[in-house]
Amino acid sequence: MMNVWRLSWNAATFRSKDYFLAFFYFLIFFMVPALDGVLIGRAFDSLTNGEPERVYTIAGVLLVTETIHMISIYFAVRYFVKAFWLIDSMLRANMLAAQIASGGDDAAESVASSGEAITHFRDDPEDVTHFLDSWIDVSAGTVFAIVAVTILGGVNAGATVALVIPMAAVFIVTWLLDTRIQQFRAADRKATVAVTGALGDVFASATSIKVNGATKPTLRHLSGLFDIRRGTAVRDRVLEDGLLAFARGSSEYSFAITIIVAAGAIASGRFDTGDFAIFAVFLTYLGFLPRMVGRMMARREQARVAFDGMSELVAGGDREKLVVHRFLPFEDPSLLPSRVLPVRTPLRSLRVESLAARFDGGGGVENVSFELRPGTLTVVTGVVGAGKSTLLRTLLGLESNAETSGAVFWNDEVILDRAAFFIPPQAAYLPQVPNLISDTFHANIGLGAGSMAEIEHALVLAALSDDLEQMPAGTQTMVGPRGLRLSGGQRQRLAAARAFVHRPELIVLDDLSSALDIETEVELWTNLAAAGATVLAVSHRQVAFERADQIIELSDGLRT
Amino acid sequence: MQKGNHWKTIWRLIRPDAWRYVGLAIVLAAASALPLAGPIVVRHIIDSAIDGTTTGAVVRWGTIYLIVAIASQAATVLVAFLSTVLAWRTANGLRLQLTEHVLGLDQEFHRSHPPGELIHRVDGDVTSVSDLLGRVSVTIGGAVLLVAGMVVAVTVIDWRLGIAMVIYAGLGLYVLAGQRDRALDEATDESAVKARLYGEIEEQLTASLDIRSNGAGAYGLRRLIEVSSDALPIVVGREVNYVRAYARTMVVVASGMVAVLVSGALLTGRDVLTVGTAFLLFQFTMLLRRPLELAIDELPMVHKASGAAVRVGELLDMKASIVFDGSASPSPGPLAVQFEGVSFDYGEELVLDDINLVLPAGESTGIVGRTGSGKTTLSRLVLRLVEATEGTVSIGGTSIADIAESELRHRIALVPQEVQLLAGTVRDNVALFDRSIADADIVAALTEVGLDRLVESGVDTPVGSAGVGLSAGEAQLLALARVWLRKPDVVVLDEATARVDPGTERVLQEAIGHLLEGRTSLVIAHRLSTLRHVDNVLVLDHGRVVEFGKRVELEADPTGRYARLLALALAESA
Repeated sequence: MMNVWRLSWNAATFRSKDYFLAFFYFLIFFMVPALDGVLIGRAFDSLTNGEPERVYTIAGVLLVTETIHMISIYFAVRYFVKAFWLIDSMLRANMLAAQIASGGDDAAESVASSGEAITHFRDDPEDVTHFLDSWIDVSAGTVFAIVAVTILGGVNAGATVALVIPMAAVFIVTWLLDTRIQQFRAADRKATVAVTGALGDVFASATSIKVNGATKPTLRHLSGLFDIRRGTAVRDRVLEDGLLAFARGSSEYSFAITIIVAAGAIASGRFDTGDFAIFAVFLTYLGFLPRMVGRMMARREQARVAFDGMSELVAGGDREKLVVHRFLPFEDPSLLPSRVLPVRTPLRSLRVESLAARFDGGGGVENVSFELRPGTLTVVTGVVGAGKSTLLRTLLGLESNAETSGAVFWNDEVILDRAAFFIPPQAAYLPQVPNLISDTFHANIGLGAGSMAEIEHALVLAALSDDLEQMPAGTQTMVGPRGLRLSGGQRQRLAAARAFVHRPELIVLDDLSSALDIETEVELWTNLAAAGATVLAVSHRQVAFERADQIIELSDGLRT
Repeated sequence: MQKGNHWKTIWRLIRPDAWRYVGLAIVLAAASALPLAGPIVVRHIIDSAIDGTTTGAVVRWGTIYLIVAIASQAATVLVAFLSTVLAWRTANGLRLQLTEHVLGLDQEFHRSHPPGELIHRVDGDVTSVSDLLGRVSVTIGGAVLLVAGMVVAVTVIDWRLGIAMVIYAGLGLYVLAGQRDRALDEATDESAVKARLYGEIEEQLTASLDIRSNGAGAYGLRRLIEVSSDALPIVVGREVNYVRAYARTMVVVASGMVAVLVSGALLTGRDVLTVGTAFLLFQFTMLLRRPLELAIDELPMVHKASGAAVRVGELLDMKASIVFDGSASPSPGPLAVQFEGVSFDYGEELVLDDINLVLPAGESTGIVGRTGSGKTTLSRLVLRLVEATEGTVSIGGTSIADIAESELRHRIALVPQEVQLLAGTVRDNVALFDRSIADADIVAALTEVGLDRLVESGVDTPVGSAGVGLSAGEAQLLALARVWLRKPDVVVLDEATARVDPGTERVLQEAIGHLLEGRTSLVIAHRLSTLRHVDNVLVLDHGRVVEFGKRVELEADPTGRYARLLALALAESA
């Protein structure tokens, strides 16, 4: 059973100072009306008794209290907006860190669709901070309620006791609708995720949809998803608003009950206009409390759904990892430590023993063993679906969606956390379809590390220097979102440069040739051989076979 | 961007539903009038208590107060229901319109706007606009109607009070108005900074394997922190702006209370006001506070929504540089593809330089050349995904600029280099959501390209994590099946077999050979083995035609560029 309260508390204490200052100013903001209520009651007494001078004095004091009221809300908002944005950012940072970590306890399985995952970054953190917002409202509202009920009890004990009825009604109704709100909310989320996911796919396939003349059917499909979401949104909104209207109405019901209960006192004049005024002021604010408690309950459910959603992105679905207080210097990002390369462990031998990876739906690799030596080229080949890419990813510890077994030895030492070990300068990997970041050539190659000289060297190895000479900004040229400003071949070679830049002990290439013409590919192989690199590559080209020191052929996941 | 354009965008949207919105306004007016009854009841109780009354009468009035309160809450819920339904109608219409518009924009637009950003603009921004229509306008409209109702109520009691109330409302409105436009700019800013944030996250998630395998988590995290940190002053700035607006409500309400007390003190003595009326005015000012606060609560949403509407308007105003206004259709059957003096550049970078060629009808032409030689651009020109800077591309003797879009898409098909799968079923992915295509045709197309595996699991099986997974090679085959369904006259294959191993390629080549039979085709390939069966070969280098001719002739000319390439790749065909 997840404890939403404790998780949220851990989130709140990421920025304790800002959060508690916000609470302090809110408390002042809530206590001013208590004073105002008493003052206004006195003013109406004086009005009834014909003492205008006292009324003017009270009016003057009210101007002062209201000024304090305004100043307190200004500071409260400043602090809570800052605290909440930073808490949101912390949750996002913890999710992203899990998605881009190389091994270790914090690394999570990669999400299937980044379009779907984005709602967990966009909406879920806000649902958590909304819940934290409610805490401030409810605790400050409770302090006010205690003071107000004490004063009202002194005015008319019977009417004050009767207030329990509408207040309790709000609690009970909220309690009963709690589960429903959560279900509606989840359904709405699901419908939203379906919409954003579909939109992401459609935009990513814009060209295909266009050239296939499929715009109209695609829009019809989207329209269906939109309609489903409209249904879930309306349900969610009407229930939430209905609950809210009832909670807000509670102060009106309370006032009606006060009149009925105190009818005798009113008719006899013991309950006078001043008392009406105190009740009127306090009930308005007292009505706030059950409403805020109701809202807090609803938001607790929303926060729970949000934590559920976000937990899909962190290691082992462990919600605790979402609220880990990481060093995140938002005020000065330059304080963040730069990327540090691990210590180099020169390769003497790499041995793979009985490596296997099995997918739920079948397929994968079975029982693959081989050994490779420094300065050699090992080529993995086989038909589509033979498990070549899976073999490479399993070796590197990147295959999180399959059940894996077997062992990998580096210089006869078994590597337990392969994802953490097989990174530069030990190993570098060039995936079949590399993905780039919308930054410069320099940043995409170095990814936060690497000197200018190292980058230049990598550019030469990857046969990219000539291309860069034609770009006025050189290595500072932006590659565009996902590298889309470059041609397919340029992207492939840029990713190759990224793999070469830290002169890794082992270079792992997954089908280098798919986006390269034959001349360029020959150039790359020649450069790698000249550099004395140790290479493990998937390929089905003769140029690779000719240079290979050993060839591993896979068929249905087995070495043949 | 001109001021006020966002209102035009919003009006354009609600116009078809204008009468429904009028109906909503009427229900809203009724819901706003009900809360006024309470203070009128209390006034009566106070004045009658001072004059002397019975417990029974007070209980009766208290009960009336309770009934009015319940009716008032019920009306609020009804308004919420009607407004939400209506707003979502409008918003979903806008989402569709925007999606269609974005899909129609140039490739250049899609190159510079990642899907994550487009999701934010088509879904996030529209949600803001829909919140404005469904919730914000109701809250703010309700507050306005409430004030109007109060003016009427006090005028009935005493016309001088009515005038005072109008003056108070006027002054209040004056204080509450203002600083809208600055806030608008800030809201646009905030939208932009959030779009950047989610674009950044989406991109990193897509590249997660690349970042992980490079051990570059620290780099990714730093980028996220930087974007989040850039957003902080903008987010805080917007809220502080909102507090300023909130403080204005407090000024209005507090001064209202003080004014009631002072004028009460002045006027009750002279018997102009009864104590009950003074209390009614006091309750009215209290009653004002909640709707005003709510309206102020929603004010940032107005700013946010206006900012979003500006961005929606900007997006809608963005025009595709390629306009399909022709209506010509080339004669049926295979079509020759002709390039006359065609050049193409991206600003300073010349990609194609004066291409003059005729690719004969019904024949296949292989296009080879180094990366960046202009192969892909040439094929994009035929599809009219990009427009030649100079010169004309024609098919079957008709310039493609004169051909209607549906006709062009019907006649020319593309098998792209990279295939993106869509969330949906096998059927959705092959037919691209076209429900009118029969299952049998889809099965036939899948079988033709060798994807029998997908036929076995059924065409209604979801693709992706929830159903059947597809490798990059299989995705390529699927794209071929898409084209197969459409029976085009011209086919462009852009390195269509790049991600397929030689074994699968042989199977695929057969399917491709069958597909290309009797059709004009442009086959872009890195692997020369792919070109074993093409009729003609075109060698491009730095945007120029180096060689063009019958494949057999070029193969036979040992001094030619193609023959040299073949020699280099000789091993490939082994």
